[in-house]
Amino acid sequence: MTSGYGRFALARAGQAAVVVLLAYVLTFLVISVLPGDAITNSLRDPQSGLSEADIQRIVQYYGLDQPVLVQLALSLGRFLTGELGFSLQSNLPVAQIVGDALPSTLTLASTALAIAVVFAIGIAYGAHYAPPRWAGLLRSIPSFFLSVPNFVIGLVLIELFAFRLHAFTTTDPNSATATLFAAVTLAIPVSAPLAEVLIASLDHESRQEYALVARSRGLDGAQLFARHLVKPSALPSVAMVALIVGELLGGSVITETIFGRDGIGTVVQKAVTGEDQPVLQAVVSLSAVVFVAVNLAADLLTPLLDPRVNVREAANA
Amino acid sequence: MSADLNFARLRSAGTATLRSRAGISPTVLVSFLVILLVVLWSLFPSLFTGYSPVNGDTGSKLDAPSLQHWFGTDYLGRDQYARVVYGTASSVTSALVAVAIGLVVGSTIGLASGFRGGWLDATLGRFVDVLLAIPGFLLAVVIVSSLGFQTINAAIATGVSAVAVFARLMRAEVIRVRRSAFVEASYLEGGNRLQALLTHVLPNAYRSVLVLAVLQFGTSIMVIASLAFLGYGDPPPSSDWGLLVASGKTYVTAPWLVYAPALVIVATVLSINRISRWLRNSK
Repeated sequence: MTSGYGRFALARAGQAAVVVLLAYVLTFLVISVLPGDAITNSLRDPQSGLSEADIQRIVQYYGLDQPVLVQLALSLGRFLTGELGFSLQSNLPVAQIVGDALPSTLTLASTALAIAVVFAIGIAYGAHYAPPRWAGLLRSIPSFFLSVPNFVIGLVLIELFAFRLHAFTTTDPNSATATLFAAVTLAIPVSAPLAEVLIASLDHESRQEYALVARSRGLDGAQLFARHLVKPSALPSVAMVALIVGELLGGSVITETIFGRDGIGTVVQKAVTGEDQPVLQAVVSLSAVVFVAVNLAADLLTPLLDPRVNVREAANA
Repeated sequence: MSADLNFARLRSAGTATLRSRAGISPTVLVSFLVILLVVLWSLFPSLFTGYSPVNGDTGSKLDAPSLQHWFGTDYLGRDQYARVVYGTASSVTSALVAVAIGLVVGSTIGLASGFRGGWLDATLGRFVDVLLAIPGFLLAVVIVSSLGFQTINAAIATGVSAVAVFARLMRAEVIRVRRSAFVEASYLEGGNRLQALLTHVLPNAYRSVLVLAVLQFGTSIMVIASLAFLGYGDPPPSSDWGLLVASGKTYVTAPWLVYAPALVIVATVLSINRISRWLRNSK
């Protein structure tokens, strides 16, 4: 069993590394589809305030005068040694730009995740135990949440709570209340798939015989939920963690723009409008790293949490 | 005890079939009506409004919704309802383009890897993994930024970021069908792989892919609206729904400029999702 698990873990980790490398290559190729001189255009833009020597240095650094494949090899080699290059707009190291923006996004994303989990559990519990009329309504909430774009939620919250009720001001986006509302904006689309999975697995688990036994022992709904149903129902949602991380990263672009927060999302938006390829490349590949790492952790944890999962089968899947 | 349980089960099974035979529920009907209206808006916008979406009446700037201007007017005095109606065609067709790209490319990949298996499956599978590893919206943003800020490019970007989902589902469906007895039987009757693929595997696998396509249509409308909201679609005076919301948000005193197009987006996507769920449950 242990050696089986070891082999499984090693194979999964190897796959993950390959996927990260290929994601880097794919991103690089997509970004390089840009008309070849766009990058030098943005360098030579008088507003960038770069001297001829600066430009030469940047061209040299990225190998911009060489074929795309050479540039790719150069860039990939640096990425593997942890070097992310320099922004074309501000000439600052990309690592510093990302590092400065990261805390804000981490705060936003972790708050949003916590809210999403609370929402999802609340909806699933209600859908299961509320009186039928309300339960039906609660069951339709996830699909309603999935039909409202992020920016609409954000703008409605700002309009209601900032402009009308003055609960927070948009000029101070990092205040606790403003962060909370930004997190709710991000949490709503994330909570929907989570709630759907929780509802489905709650339905499944409560039909199992052990649930019937527990009920016949006199446990009421809430006790049954807390003691017996939560644990097995949570398992399928562990597999969703990676999906959720992707949603949080993608959604932060919109949410941060609307609420005026300076995070990774804003960095992406500025990099897109400024055609800042190194920044874009770094952020996208780093989010692929995060996604793959979280996915790997979820994959490795599942057999440990659930002995029913056959490691050998999972390795071949 | 078992007799009771069986009786209860039988009874509930009976009502379940009755209910599904009772036909279309009112919410599904409303959803179809909403979609019909949206389709008509995009085909014949001039039938639904007498106002121009481009030229405004400068005498009535930022008017609140009224009988003359259902959704109010914007900062140039243009009728917001007319802007929404005329923006429908571009918002809806770009979502259709996105779904078509995701459906065709994704299904082809899924079909090939599920049907052939082996090295092809392994190679295509890694490619799909890579597409999945980059968060969908980020991938769309990167693609549209390198293709250029136009609505059609936003549609292509949205389509590419949906390829992986279609590929995974199609592969799973094909593998499920491929091993069934009737496919084996068609080989025994002397059929070749292509025949089996076209006459047996595809007709049995496409159903759930179709449900996904409808669902993805709603998602694509939202993603393209988000890209337009960030300014990555056609610039004004075009009036994509997402762009309308973005330009409306500048005018704090005229919240209807945001609410009207936002409501149209939500109603459309909600209807599409309802129809997709109905299709899934009625198969």
